[in-house]
Amino acid sequence: MNDSEQAPIIPEEGEVGFVEYQDFVSKEPFKFVSGGNLPELTLRYETYGHLNAAKDNAILICHALSGDHHCAGVHGIEERKQGWWNFMVGPGKPIDTTRYFVICSNVLGGCQGSTGPGSINPETGKAYQLDFPKLTVQDMVKAQSLLVDHFGIDRLHAVIGGSMGGMQTVQWAIDFPDRVGRYIALACGARHTAQAIAFNDTGRQAIISDPAWQQGSYDPEHGPDQGLAVARMMAHITYLSDVGMESKFGRKRRNADESKEHFEVEFEVESYLRYQGASFVSRFDANSYLYLTKALDRFDLHGPESLDATLSTVTAPGLVVGFTSDWLYPPQGNREIVESLLRLGKHATYAELAMDFGHDSFLVRAPRLYELIQRFLIR
Amino acid sequence: MSPNDKKRQADSQIIARWVHEGDRVLDLGCGRGILLEYLQQKKSIYGVGVDIDLGKIISCVKRGVPAYQGDIGAILASFPDDSFDHVILSRTVEHLEDADAILAEGLRVGRHVTVGFVNKGFWINRLNALLHGKRTVNEVYPKPWYESMPSNPFSVAEFEAFCDARKIVIENRVYLSGDWLNECRKLPNLLAGYAIYDLSSID
Repeated sequence: MNDSEQAPIIPEEGEVGFVEYQDFVSKEPFKFVSGGNLPELTLRYETYGHLNAAKDNAILICHALSGDHHCAGVHGIEERKQGWWNFMVGPGKPIDTTRYFVICSNVLGGCQGSTGPGSINPETGKAYQLDFPKLTVQDMVKAQSLLVDHFGIDRLHAVIGGSMGGMQTVQWAIDFPDRVGRYIALACGARHTAQAIAFNDTGRQAIISDPAWQQGSYDPEHGPDQGLAVARMMAHITYLSDVGMESKFGRKRRNADESKEHFEVEFEVESYLRYQGASFVSRFDANSYLYLTKALDRFDLHGPESLDATLSTVTAPGLVVGFTSDWLYPPQGNREIVESLLRLGKHATYAELAMDFGHDSFLVRAPRLYELIQRFLIR
Repeated sequence: MSPNDKKRQADSQIIARWVHEGDRVLDLGCGRGILLEYLQQKKSIYGVGVDIDLGKIISCVKRGVPAYQGDIGAILASFPDDSFDHVILSRTVEHLEDADAILAEGLRVGRHVTVGFVNKGFWINRLNALLHGKRTVNEVYPKPWYESMPSNPFSVAEFEAFCDARKIVIENRVYLSGDWLNECRKLPNLLAGYAIYDLSSID
């Protein structure tokens, strides 16, 4: 039967289980593209699997805007939620930890343990806040390269990421062609559309107009929680899709009690988004959110010359995956990266998945996505 | 290789004769990437496949063949003139909505365009239509009409008349008999089961 080759390989799957994060500290000054400097830099990361003797089996995973270094396993028995890409990373899974050594670090400028606006500047003893240098995706990738150096890895087997992680992934292939064996960028694009910038700025304005923001110099215990929660609620809508939200929530009511206050939570979707907003505030720093969204808005592979000129340094084979229901980073933005790579005569593949989960589709387990990533990594 | 696969890949060897070592090849409607894999192995080409179906793209990934999932017209439009040495449409043209425009685009993007198709004029296909009132069915297209892609089959004579009208140069052509293996040397419109053309535009 000629289609037998299409049967997905479904090996016995296991879990990475308990994991611990580590901190990598570089005492060297770190220079940003913008010209700014950090006297030193910390990246918090996790690893799964084992680095082989040849040090050629490492895969770097780049996380999205609100993600972190914890992409698989659990930190302890009491932790209910597994890492954000647990279904993708583990023994027998597409990013197979019996085969690969997997590294995932919290991004530079983030707030989950890596140096960001909320970190203490060792030179002043105070948090950087708005003194943190202007951040770009290139800076994030450069910082990750120091961590890769730290492991003594010359060349990564693969770099993989979705959304902001996808942009980092493509940036890796551009900036470090000799260090990337292959790359997989999911739900990304060569640059933000006007709509994506518009959403980001509305979120930033929600933060900045919160009186607690204090020109960025807030006490971490009393930050602009309202503004950040609203920013998150709005951004979260852009990660879903109309169809997905309709099937998940529809007009389901949380509270049928009409005697309640008129503007209390009424619909299920309101309850969901408010919860998303509130829980985000407990784990995210508002200034980090400002810096990271700005870095994304300024990311532009079409500049300074052209998309083809920017991608001309790429040598590794690449796989770019778009999702039909993604209206934040629509398929066309993903496609144009591959179209450019093919114009340049590079080895690049574009695949498009019809899933209803919007931008967040790459975070949803789907057999086809599973198979694509598994196959591409093995080749 | 099953006899069906053999028939399915009948055109590979012929196309390989027209492709040079290290050529750049774009295969429109590449399916599982078998032709491109064959050309990679035989001629060390740089090949890119295009297909609308995700399952086919996954098969290409498995073979290490770069592939683009999407619309043929859109990907052609993204390439400058003469980006490829060969643009291949193997059993693709009959499925196109706008074959005329796609072939013109193919000739712009490629120095050569290769077209392979099942000859609607083949006598068995005629008999099928005449005696049974049926569409063309064979080992490669075994499915009934309601399970098949929309198809707009044409004959050797119709295709050559089209090339003539559009001033497309037929550089090479091979007619295969009903078994799709042996060459057919006479009355191709009636006796050829399959036809393969190597085309170029007058420049």
